[in-house]
Amino acid sequence: MATDSTDTTRSPVLSVRDLVVHFQKKSSLPFAKPTSVVHAVCGSSFDLFPGETLGLVGESGCGKTTTGRAMLQLAEPTSGSIKFDGQELVGLSRKEMGEIRQNLQIVFQDPFGSLDPKMTVGQSIAEPLAIHGRWTDEEGPGLVAEAMRHVGLDPKFASRFPNEFSGGQRQRIGIARALILNPKVLILDEPVSALDVSVQAGVINLLADLQEKFGIAYLMIAHDLSVVRHVSDRVAVMYLGRIVEIADKVDLYSAPQHPYTQALLSAAPLADPKAERQRKRIILEGDVPSPTNPPSGCRFRTRCPKAQDICANEIPDLIDRGQNHAVACHFPEAMKII
Amino acid sequence: MAQPVVSVKGLEVSFATEGGMLNAVRGLTFELAEQEVLGIVGESGSGKSVTALALIGLLPKTAVVKGSVEIDGEEIVGRAEKDMYKMRGSKIAMIFQDPMTSLNPVYTIGWQIIEAVRSHGKVSKDEAKVRAIELLRLSGIPRPEAALDSYPHEFSGGMRQRVVIAIAMANSPRVMLADEPTTALDVTVQAQVLLSLQSALEKTKAALVLVTHDLGVVAGMANRVIVMYAGRVVEFANVDELFYRPSMPYTHGLLGAIPSHAEDSDERLSQIPGAPPTMLNHAGGCPFAPRCPLAQDVCRSTEPALEPVATADGSVHLSACHFRDEVSSMPVASMFKGAEQILEGAEDSGH
Repeated sequence: MATDSTDTTRSPVLSVRDLVVHFQKKSSLPFAKPTSVVHAVCGSSFDLFPGETLGLVGESGCGKTTTGRAMLQLAEPTSGSIKFDGQELVGLSRKEMGEIRQNLQIVFQDPFGSLDPKMTVGQSIAEPLAIHGRWTDEEGPGLVAEAMRHVGLDPKFASRFPNEFSGGQRQRIGIARALILNPKVLILDEPVSALDVSVQAGVINLLADLQEKFGIAYLMIAHDLSVVRHVSDRVAVMYLGRIVEIADKVDLYSAPQHPYTQALLSAAPLADPKAERQRKRIILEGDVPSPTNPPSGCRFRTRCPKAQDICANEIPDLIDRGQNHAVACHFPEAMKII
Repeated sequence: MAQPVVSVKGLEVSFATEGGMLNAVRGLTFELAEQEVLGIVGESGSGKSVTALALIGLLPKTAVVKGSVEIDGEEIVGRAEKDMYKMRGSKIAMIFQDPMTSLNPVYTIGWQIIEAVRSHGKVSKDEAKVRAIELLRLSGIPRPEAALDSYPHEFSGGMRQRVVIAIAMANSPRVMLADEPTTALDVTVQAQVLLSLQSALEKTKAALVLVTHDLGVVAGMANRVIVMYAGRVVEFANVDELFYRPSMPYTHGLLGAIPSHAEDSDERLSQIPGAPPTMLNHAGGCPFAPRCPLAQDVCRSTEPALEPVATADGSVHLSACHFRDEVSSMPVASMFKGAEQILEGAEDSGH
């Protein structure tokens, strides 16, 4: 169904088609039937090309984190296909997936929860090597030191524990741990949202440097539109489990076509008082509906200023409207948002 | 300026800790008129939340507060809790970051608003109910009559925060304090809540002290801005002056660190090397000097006073920097280009 921005000249390193992830919400009583299904991701399709950054933005509960976790089978896909370098990942055994994970690593949001407080920083960074049987006493310590240097940490602190490091430094440790296996793809799940702005800037710069140096592809999951614009080549916007718009970043930010993307951009504040005074905000009514009982047809229709009857009856496909700019809307219209 | 509704002079807050005195706020002075919005920005631990708590007298008993906070001519510092109780809500109201914990989960929304309305002055239950419905409508709650019988858990985060705003404006306070009011919310919901806050200000004519780390929110809401660093005001200016002519290197660093969603830039973000200092036993010198690319010997030995910078429009623009005039004429964040640290190490484990 969905024809998203597929580039025929390059082959994607990660190719996702019609990904569906549902969670059974279990009843708290024993032997009771499962009460409801959370439709976390419903038919997402996108490609990630080598060395590029695809930003995945949306508000809480839109399914962006679940999408990221599904890439690593940390959330089990209900249906659909995820291909890494042409190889299908859905349905792989734990062991087979383990092999592939060397090329597919993740950096988590919380720099405090994602490091084991009882392991030294060096041990944490070395652990992926040990898990994949690549640790040797001769080369291991050198690799750890190199990974620390790559992320801007002094290797002489490898014997320290996480509590001695600041939030930004811990996030660098998490990045070093993900890098040590030389992955081709890095899933970045809100890597800077827990950090203060001045520290956040350092981590964003670091990620750009690493991509330039190693040609890693990033799937950057974030809610901050400004950060995503800064780091991404292409951007996908998610709403309630579906990708509603995907395009090159310049197209998406300068001429968004989906009413949700437009509202999102118009609501995001700008650190520019003169621009702020001139802005006309599109204020959406109400809240995001529950993913256990999503609206029929277009999921955005309950809050959409353009909604018509057709929006309740037919799910709009994600259709390429030229220049790899795909939109899932019955009434798409490019609009400049200030 | 007309008679200010808030007047803070030389406010200092410190806590006695095992490691010595922790100076959370050092020498804060400002005045605010009706309907004025003061943004207080700074990073974690800069003292901005402690400032807000000091203004409404909610600091723990262990806090040592000096200086003066006058609201509508009445002194807050040193006031007995019993008197303070009367002022909260009627003269000064607070909107906290997390609307789940600032509403009581076992009472209905209606009960909580009616309680606020009736706690200051004689109002009958029926009158209070009418007033509660009006307050909910003003803060943008759809179907306010039905909302009265709802419990907080039935509302989303944005709706709850609007209920909190309704309660805050219930007694037309002179000042509202909002501590990161939209940080827990999604961006489309943030826009709704900020709109409610603006209409609450118009309705009550209150002044607003908006504590936030989000410079975008400040740019859209504030008239004047205080930048705090290590418990100190390092810059104070009206919003345009602050964003377009920052006069303290730390402000430059903050502004250069945030990307924009309105334009493309392949430029690197400016990153401030190092980490904020601990506020224990301040040693002297400018607290930002260890991270400042422009720091000279004088910065390490003498703490700069908060003094005026020349402005084109004659507005008050204060900066705590020995080189404030040079810094104010530099392009934003230019001094941080190439100032990145090569390798970072762990913090010294002295605390």
